Amino acid sequence: MKVRARERRKTLQGLLFVSPWLIGFLVFTLYPILASLYYSFCDFRVLSPPRWIGLGNYHALLTDRDYFLPSLVNTLYMLGELPVALVLGVGMALLLNQKLPGIGLFRTLYYLPSVMPTVAVAVLWLWLLNPEYGLVNAALGPILEPFGIAPPGWLTDPGWSKPAFILMDLWAVGGSVVVYLAGLQGIPVHLYEAADLDGATPWQKTRHVTLPQLSPVIFYNLIIGVIATFQYFTQAFIMTNGGPQNSTLFYALHLFHNAFRDFRMGRACAMAWVLFLVTLAATVLVFRSSARWVYYEGDRNG
Amino acid sequence: MPLTMPRSRTPLPRWRLRPLVLSCLAACLLLAAAQGCSRGTASERGPVELRVWTMWGGDEAEAFQAVVDEFNRTHPQIVVRNLPAVDDTKIIRAIVADDPPDVFTLREPGYLGSLAGNGALLALDDRFAGSGLKEADFAPGTLSQCRYGGRLHAMLFLMDCYGLLWNKAAFREAGLDPETPPATHEQLLEYARKLTQRDAKGRITRLGLLPPDPMVLIGSFGGRFTTPDGARPTADHERNIAALRWYRELIEVQGGPEQVNGFAAGFGQEMGINNPFLVDKVAMMLNGQWNPYWFQRYGPKVRYGAAPLPYPAEHPELRHPTWLGGNLFCIPANTRHADEAWTFLRWTQTLPAQRLFASTMHGVPNLLAARKEPSLRTVGGPDDAWKGAFGIFMDAASSPNARHFPVTAVTGLYQYELLTAADYVRFGSRTPEAALSDVQQRVAREMARSQP
Repeated sequence: MKVRARERRKTLQGLLFVSPWLIGFLVFTLYPILASLYYSFCDFRVLSPPRWIGLGNYHALLTDRDYFLPSLVNTLYMLGELPVALVLGVGMALLLNQKLPGIGLFRTLYYLPSVMPTVAVAVLWLWLLNPEYGLVNAALGPILEPFGIAPPGWLTDPGWSKPAFILMDLWAVGGSVVVYLAGLQGIPVHLYEAADLDGATPWQKTRHVTLPQLSPVIFYNLIIGVIATFQYFTQAFIMTNGGPQNSTLFYALHLFHNAFRDFRMGRACAMAWVLFLVTLAATVLVFRSSARWVYYEGDRNG
Repeated sequence: MPLTMPRSRTPLPRWRLRPLVLSCLAACLLLAAAQGCSRGTASERGPVELRVWTMWGGDEAEAFQAVVDEFNRTHPQIVVRNLPAVDDTKIIRAIVADDPPDVFTLREPGYLGSLAGNGALLALDDRFAGSGLKEADFAPGTLSQCRYGGRLHAMLFLMDCYGLLWNKAAFREAGLDPETPPATHEQLLEYARKLTQRDAKGRITRLGLLPPDPMVLIGSFGGRFTTPDGARPTADHERNIAALRWYRELIEVQGGPEQVNGFAAGFGQEMGINNPFLVDKVAMMLNGQWNPYWFQRYGPKVRYGAAPLPYPAEHPELRHPTWLGGNLFCIPANTRHADEAWTFLRWTQTLPAQRLFASTMHGVPNLLAARKEPSLRTVGGPDDAWKGAFGIFMDAASSPNARHFPVTAVTGLYQYELLTAADYVRFGSRTPEAALSDVQQRVAREMARSQP
């Protein structure tokens, strides 16, 4: 009996000591999540109490061909950035993995864009992408001119606004390069030595040693990239606010408009849950595919 | 070897734990009590503190602070504390959390309908009637910006008013009379074409007319946004279509959407020395009454003229149109100091308050009497050169053809829809009829849903 009472007291004390975190989690994480689930079934105008409407918000979303579906498509378009970022990131990591004098400087330079605040980067790129005075078109102009092609209008042109965002994001690919670099450094040297003994060419070594060994890191970056793409918001919010012609009205931006411009918090919550399900589905798909191409040390099937 | 945490041999004794918990609780209670105190009515002792949250920051916050200081000096029973640069969403959160300011401004006037429709704002009709203020004291388009569902939910403290601004040197260069601005939209289009300049390669070096805000343009065409009772939208009104058709023509005569967009994307901030009008990248613009002061400050050498907005030639009854905005001051329904808050708002509707604020904020007084104020019209020296053109804006604001966006529960959405429609028209990817009919359908649906 006595032992049990002491145990219980200890448990209580333990809980008391972790309570700052526990309370924080319950109040600031779990409660808002559950509340948003509840609100997603309500007509909730923020200023008046929520009113239960069942699946009304979800129905309104799925039948909204003007905003909801285009915003989802705009966001899916941005997924096209991931393979490019992947090839570019791995390629740069391979180059930056060379043992050369001053390589640290290059690594720092390529990493630099990822530590800059998004807002500052957005404002900077507004100028770089300026169709008239921007450096991007200043470089493209002379190349395209002989062919009689005018350089694109980037953010002012509905057909080029999404590629403009992709271009801007690729500039910050250094963030994933650092992770790839760490992965490259972790590849055991004896694998390369064995490949050398077998007379492997540099390409064969990359293809059959480096890439399989790096695949868990690529997998990790892919998952993070998929999730981040579905949440794409800040750049569009600052630079275009959805325009021109709604071509950069991304899912998260439309969600924000619903919640804070139109006071349709219930529908915004429903959008958040749909986003969660879509992201979950995409992540599961990537996970399922991983068995085919991700190699783990000690994994017999790998 | 597995790592284990060293187990604590002596647990904290109870007598040491309990005071800790108790003192934490006590601190919480104390904080809550202090919070309660600061909110209490407490008018028995000392002046009442009035929390006012406003949108202005920087220089503008200083201008408003001077107004607050004047109020505090003349009203010993009330102390207004101004919190500058407040975002609308913060105010909404504060109202929902039942800890609102006593008075606040709306950066986005479009929120007024939603706030009022949800009962978040104090209706001011009785206080207005009991304070000696009369409808006739205010210009048309003043109180109507503050009414929703037939009730007064805000007061304006100065307003914005749009007019035509033109660069006289550019007119001379293009062989136009620098003293005669275009009066109709047809002339405006012609002037815009003549004033647009290109370099040898055909690229734009100066735009004749900065593509105007579609809302301002629709207003100047005598457009309509809702039925008179405000119950239904009229986005596809014939005058609105005419406005967007003209908008498309304007873009075309100046070189097409790609060129115009590309050129305009390079413009610097309007509030600064790179204002495109001041560096001769734009010869004319439809813009607000704050510009004369900005011109004086950022480009005192530029010679410019100001006139009422152009009107459609086939509708002479729409002569001298203008577009109005306003600084809306509201009182939350759940404030603890409604009477003091109204005392402050009432004071903003007096001649001295309007004169003081207009002279530093360069907004048009909403009180008719203040618009006649000579001190806002006479140029004494280079420091008040802006007052020359400012008088033209004050007169324009009193025009019977002054329009503003109606107060609706879906204004934010409605305006976004209209801007998107204008975007489609600008690129020629939709006709004005098709684009506006889409807006009409969507806004009508939303408006029906939001009826109380």
